[in-house]
Amino acid sequence: MYGWIYRHLPGPTPVRALLAVLLALAVVALLLFVVFPAVEPHLPLTGVTVRG
Amino acid sequence: MATSGVDTDLRGGGEPADPRRSAGLTDPMADEGPAAPEADAPGEPGEPGELAEPDEPGRRRATRGAINLAARGVGELLITAGVLVALFLGYQLWVTDLLQARTQARLHDKLTETWSEPATPAPAEPEELPPAVRPDPAPGEGFAVLRIPRFGDDYAPVIVEGVTDAALRDGPGHYPGTAMPGEIGNFVVSGHRTTYGKPFDRLDELKPGDPIVVEVQDRYYVYRMTRSEVVTPDRIDVIEPVPEQPGAAPTEAAITMTTCHPKFSAKNRLIVFGELDKTVMKTPGGAVPFQGGEV
Repeated sequence: MYGWIYRHLPGPTPVRALLAVLLALAVVALLLFVVFPAVEPHLPLTGVTVRG
Repeated sequence: MATSGVDTDLRGGGEPADPRRSAGLTDPMADEGPAAPEADAPGEPGEPGELAEPDEPGRRRATRGAINLAARGVGELLITAGVLVALFLGYQLWVTDLLQARTQARLHDKLTETWSEPATPAPAEPEELPPAVRPDPAPGEGFAVLRIPRFGDDYAPVIVEGVTDAALRDGPGHYPGTAMPGEIGNFVVSGHRTTYGKPFDRLDELKPGDPIVVEVQDRYYVYRMTRSEVVTPDRIDVIEPVPEQPGAAPTEAAITMTTCHPKFSAKNRLIVFGELDKTVMKTPGGAVPFQGGEV
């Protein structure tokens, strides 16, 4: 999977490495700022209010 | 045929194909290669090197490649799942705290600005406290600062209006409809015990008599902790004007703080009750009550 992605990145090795890092950072950012905040309320990790 | 091919390949240390294979293994990228050549092989007979080989070793390589690919795929998925969980943990334990710290700094700035505007008029008689201005915050807006001396002088989260997920991410939230600070009735505040700055992390450490100070524009309301209890999440009677006495008419100004219990669980709620002890007016240059270790 990761090998396949790496092989399909354009450019010489340094460019590919940079692109790979950027791609990884983009995925992490997406997870931290979009996916996790959206998923979090549905997990039974924290509940601080009383509700009827 | 496929299995026998694998068998001979695994045992066949001295076969003619072996030198090429081991040569290929020295290059990490070549090891990941089999997928592409395998797919290309039938359609492009003109490709040099790979297809110049005899048919039989080529198939063996393809089978081995497919198994390798599947194994690698599963391995990568498992590693990805592990990293995902670790990342989520990091998000919960660290990133959410950073996010709330930033929001709290913004709320503090805004509150300081709001409070710098002219406050209530001075009392006609010095003995009497000037009338309090009831805060009328919009949902999500910060309107008071909570200070709990037992948690240190630096402990000063801004209380925001509302107990929605979004509001609680910003800071401890005031239950809409319950009393405002200092009012007769029950001032109810909920806050995270873990994640998002965990303002109520140490709520279980409070002891009866501990001051709980709520700072508003012109004064400090000093509540005293009376008791705490762990209840199920459906016990909405703890936020009644007289806590746990639905329908009773309040005569005291109470404070109730709710958070999750145990930590990292939504199973129960830790509830801390308190009652208003006194009101301290702000004076220019005056210190926050109890600041400096005095409890």
